[in-house]
Amino acid sequence: MRRGSIVRITIYGVLAGIAASLVAVLVPWLPTSASEEMDRIEFTFWFTTVICIGVFAVVAAAIVYSVLNFRVQPEDESDGPPIHGHTGLEIVWTAIPAVLVTAISVVSAIVLARNDDAGPNPLRISVTAQQFAWKFEYPGDDKVVSGELVLPVDKPVKLTLHSRDVIHAFWVPEFGQKSDAVPGIETTLVITPTRKGSYRVICTELCGLGHATMRAPVRVVEQAEYEKYLADEAAGGAPDESSGEAVFVTAGCGGCHAFAPARSDAQVGPSLDAVDPRGRPLDEFLLESIEDPNAVLAEGYQGDVMPNTYGKSLSEEQLDALVQYLVDGQKGSE
Amino acid sequence: MTEIAQTPHEAHHTPAPPRRGVRRLTGPGFLRAAWLTPLFWAIGTGLVLFFRWLGHYEPIADWTVITVVAFLTTAPIGFLAGIGAFDYWLYYISGRATRVDDHASHGAYSWRDYFKVNTDHKVIGVQYLVTTFFFFTVGGLMAMLVRAELANPDMQFVDTQTYNGLVSEHAALMIFLFIIPAFAGLANFAVPLMLGAPDMAFPRLNALSYWLLPVAGIMFLCAFLAPGGAFATGWTSYAPLASEQPLGQVFFNMGVQWAGASSIMTALNFLVTIITMRAPGMTFWRMPLLVWANFTTSLLVVIATPFIAGSQFFVMFDRVMHTNFFDVSEGGYVLGYQHIFWFYSHPAVYIMMLPGFGIISEVMAVFSRKPIFGYRLMALSLMGILVLGFSVWAHHMFVAGLAPWLRVPMMVTSMIIAVPTGIKIFSWLATMWEGKLHFRTPMLFALGFISMFVLGGLSGIFLASVPIDIAASDTYFIVAHIHYVLFGGSVFTIFAGIYYWFPKMTGRMYSEKLGKTHFWLTFIGFNGTFFPMHWVGLQGMPRRVADYSAQFGNWNMVISMFSFLLGASTIVFFYNMIISWHRGAIAPSNPWRALTLEWQVTSPPPVFNFDEIPQVVGGPYEYGVPGAKHAVLRGGAATVHEEEVVR
Repeated sequence: MRRGSIVRITIYGVLAGIAASLVAVLVPWLPTSASEEMDRIEFTFWFTTVICIGVFAVVAAAIVYSVLNFRVQPEDESDGPPIHGHTGLEIVWTAIPAVLVTAISVVSAIVLARNDDAGPNPLRISVTAQQFAWKFEYPGDDKVVSGELVLPVDKPVKLTLHSRDVIHAFWVPEFGQKSDAVPGIETTLVITPTRKGSYRVICTELCGLGHATMRAPVRVVEQAEYEKYLADEAAGGAPDESSGEAVFVTAGCGGCHAFAPARSDAQVGPSLDAVDPRGRPLDEFLLESIEDPNAVLAEGYQGDVMPNTYGKSLSEEQLDALVQYLVDGQKGSE
Repeated sequence: MTEIAQTPHEAHHTPAPPRRGVRRLTGPGFLRAAWLTPLFWAIGTGLVLFFRWLGHYEPIADWTVITVVAFLTTAPIGFLAGIGAFDYWLYYISGRATRVDDHASHGAYSWRDYFKVNTDHKVIGVQYLVTTFFFFTVGGLMAMLVRAELANPDMQFVDTQTYNGLVSEHAALMIFLFIIPAFAGLANFAVPLMLGAPDMAFPRLNALSYWLLPVAGIMFLCAFLAPGGAFATGWTSYAPLASEQPLGQVFFNMGVQWAGASSIMTALNFLVTIITMRAPGMTFWRMPLLVWANFTTSLLVVIATPFIAGSQFFVMFDRVMHTNFFDVSEGGYVLGYQHIFWFYSHPAVYIMMLPGFGIISEVMAVFSRKPIFGYRLMALSLMGILVLGFSVWAHHMFVAGLAPWLRVPMMVTSMIIAVPTGIKIFSWLATMWEGKLHFRTPMLFALGFISMFVLGGLSGIFLASVPIDIAASDTYFIVAHIHYVLFGGSVFTIFAGIYYWFPKMTGRMYSEKLGKTHFWLTFIGFNGTFFPMHWVGLQGMPRRVADYSAQFGNWNMVISMFSFLLGASTIVFFYNMIISWHRGAIAPSNPWRALTLEWQVTSPPPVFNFDEIPQVVGGPYEYGVPGAKHAVLRGGAATVHEEEVVR
């Protein structure tokens, strides 16, 4: 190779590298990190990105140089030089990628080990997923259960994930960590929040019609505020475990049904704001619809969508409370 | 049999005289299929009703069972019997005279012959390609609907069940009815020619493999007619969600069986053909890389495909027979589905990529006018991918709750598979180096493939790294990655192959100008559609949602606009294909001045490919080597290039 062509191909490579680096820097690729785990994921991401930009620059330089320099002249019917291979080169482009991917593997394995490590005494919160809602059970004697995930800042949390029906997945983009909630097995996830603020749990495993609406609010707060939240929930919320409103939240009704008193506006299932009981007593009709959703289908909605297990999973008191809550909340019921 | 021995050679090529009167209803064809299909459906339904009555099951007419047995099993068998896919075998079994050597079903003399059971590998190749591009169009239109819905947040055009159905159907059609069989179609046409063989080893099995495809495709589409809508659990169809879905789900469970059976039969056929039907002198180290690629792909298909068949049967049995493979309350194991499914579906990624590697190797050498750089390492890296491909499946399950210790080993193997893939990329670049590059349409698609596949491969490195994968999995980053490898990778190579062999298949040249327009529109539309998905996903947009957070609205609008451009680009492609096939310039036998054997016969090739068996004397890519020859043909069509004919 002549010196001129070496210079030119190097220039192409540098230009390609700069272009790729600009895309890497100017585009907001990742959400702003809010956990120690996401910080490490970001490090792995940028470490890999640097290596990939290098590989991209080499390939781009070779393609651009070839396209510009080896384009055949019109009417040229001749063949290129019969080069069949070059053992040295072939060893080089086997060995270098092998080294690079080994480096990425080592970094990834270390980061993974640290991201799985919750330390000696993490806060343990149990997460239960079901179509299409999240429920969080906090530690402590009060056994607070809520539809909101409140975490103290800078404290490692170990989430244990369960599912009541199909596979769901727990993801808060700013925390980085993600895990499926699988029926029949328990999965865990370690998160150490570092930034106070409000986030959202997003279900990322297709779980049925309400999948896109399966969200839950997350708040990261000071330790004192966290304790106050638990105390308030225990004081005001604990008896509510069997109140109609609490059942509505924990059973996940708001994941699919609009209902103004619960501030839910989901549209997967029919609205519960003004239920037409088809000429029957409203409470009886509601109870039947909860226990056997296919008995009467609202116009424009299909059967076999709503789980038919609520009649079993909720106690009789809970069902009565839920029906009463729905009856009281009907528009124009006063 | 004696009659056949007396038939003169020329008569072999004459099609059988058309049947008349009632005999048209009993002879193979669509008329017979029109009454055999409902008959077999009735037999299936009757069997279900009889056995349910016998066993006192209630209700006797259970539509789930009737759907599985009558609609999805016996009716398709009736259709296949009707068109004549089993005629020879049934004649043979019953001791009647078979039409063993009259070759009435060989070659195509009018467009009608493409709608019959035909045993000619070239006709079957064209049948495959036309069929797969039909399903490509249908699957593509579904993607357009999906993008129309996603252009803005909230719900606009379709409801959630329909949306999930469209997403699942799009993927199922593109994977099982387009990419995998389109490669099978190209290879069906090219591989026997490249080997110097007169046909595939088992021509009747080949015909049956093809006819299973429309059955599978129509089955997928008919799912929309099922009560409750089409299967809506993504093409991965994870249990236990899939066992609880409306009836449309069994159309996926069974459609995969038919498409999978087609794949397995074709793969066995390729393996036997490649091992036993190479022309004299065609050693393994003289085989074109397309043949090598289909050899390794066929091994992958034969070993892996039974696993997806099993996984879909398990899900269906859970529904229909109340087995409890994935029912936790009865002791089922949910992750078992994913392990079995991905043990096929990861190798399937290579089933959808290795034949493309083969096509690019052919195109690169011919349009660079140089030998393939490192031919043997290219072949060995295919074998390397084949072996490693079976050891990486759990990288689809890093967040699925699998045994934690399994993650790092599976990450390492996933990373290492980048090495043989890298060898191929670098070798193609070195093949171009100092070559005489002709930028015809196949070469443009080959270059487009290399650049897009490098991007898809690099995003694959991110996903192989467990911590990054944990953040990225099940988001639009995955959607971006899979389209970079399956569209920028596989589909670009399919286009390269279609343009490359179009003159050989049809005997006519395509329009170079339209081909290049198609390439640039596709290239721009593709990148505009899929590149932004990378960051949209990482920032927090999950996949398989009809409704999403308003913060992603602008980018999704951009993505949808580019996707419509991408969709429109295929109109240019189809226009080019139809017009050129109809009245393009007559193609010479070897328009690309290629050395491999398919170009040494007329375009399109004679019915039995070679009038005399060619003698292979050297490697397939000896461009620039003075006096080098791949093969010697005595007579035949090679006279078009006088200098290459030895006599």
